[in-house]
Amino acid sequence: MEEIVNNSEALCEYLKKMIIGTLKLEGVTVQGIDSSAPLFREGLGLDSIDALELVVAIEKIFNVIIEDEEVGKRAFASINALAKFIQKKYKQGK
Amino acid sequence: MEFKDKRVIVTGGTKGLGKAIALSFAREGAWVGVNYSSDDKSASRTEAELEGLSTKSLLLKADVSIGADVEKMIGSVLDQWEYVDILVNNAGIIRDKLLMFLDEEDWDRVLEVNLKGTYLCSRAIMKTMIARRFGRIINITSPSALTGRAGQTNYSASKGGIISFTKSLSKEMARLGITVNAVCPGIISTPMTENLDQETKSNFLNMIPMGRFGEPEDVAWAVLFLASEKAGYITGQVLAADGGLT
Repeated sequence: MEEIVNNSEALCEYLKKMIIGTLKLEGVTVQGIDSSAPLFREGLGLDSIDALELVVAIEKIFNVIIEDEEVGKRAFASINALAKFIQKKYKQGK
Repeated sequence: MEFKDKRVIVTGGTKGLGKAIALSFAREGAWVGVNYSSDDKSASRTEAELEGLSTKSLLLKADVSIGADVEKMIGSVLDQWEYVDILVNNAGIIRDKLLMFLDEEDWDRVLEVNLKGTYLCSRAIMKTMIARRFGRIINITSPSALTGRAGQTNYSASKGGIISFTKSLSKEMARLGITVNAVCPGIISTPMTENLDQETKSNFLNMIPMGRFGEPEDVAWAVLFLASEKAGYITGQVLAADGGLT
């Protein structure tokens, strides 16, 4: 996992796959997700209940805890933001 | 064995109604963790009964009104059992007084144990349920919440809060495969109701169309039903097992 976390491009791809898989998004492909686009509402169209599932998945996979809603909002701003957040927290946890 | 190897936590599970619920799950093959706060003797007795029934059981001493205690308790269950399928928020206390004489401490303590305890335990358990896209949260409420009762402003507020909490949480969890319901037990023969005075007991009996107090098992079956696979499309509801009281 450390190898993926340290490689931004690989991490973004991993996160896209994780989101598609966790939320069972039909008709959405890795290529179809813009890394800089918002994940919620106008972007992928996710909502706050989807976020709960992602919070749990991220904690399970990366051992990174999103402790409150404000942190979650920043982390889930886009795939790029989420990757940066995980990289930062993952290193802090090491 | 409808609940074979299902993992259950019952708060306030070593006495009265909670104990009946815990034993009923154990008889159906569930692994049962029973929480209690202070009465070690009755906890030991319940533990012995559970050991005779269930494949696995845990005795969980914790004050459900303290966040750190709850996190520690749930953490220790998850360490040993990996996940939990069913949470029954049953822990509750009464400190009945007419409002004029109800001091702040009695107000706070009842709200802390009954309502805050339900919130803390539900919050602590939800991640493991979300991860598995399955869960049953069953909160024990009271007729006092539905109809009100003199001398129970603190208790009825806490139990009414539990109903509202149940309905709101059910909306959050519905899409994630987790149901959240409440069971309203009516007047049940437990140590808590044994402390009522004779006049109050008679008044209650006159109010119950079935003419008898409920047995803890009458309520336990309602809880087991809501916890079952069959009840998967029922969420945000209050099921009264009260002999027609409400």
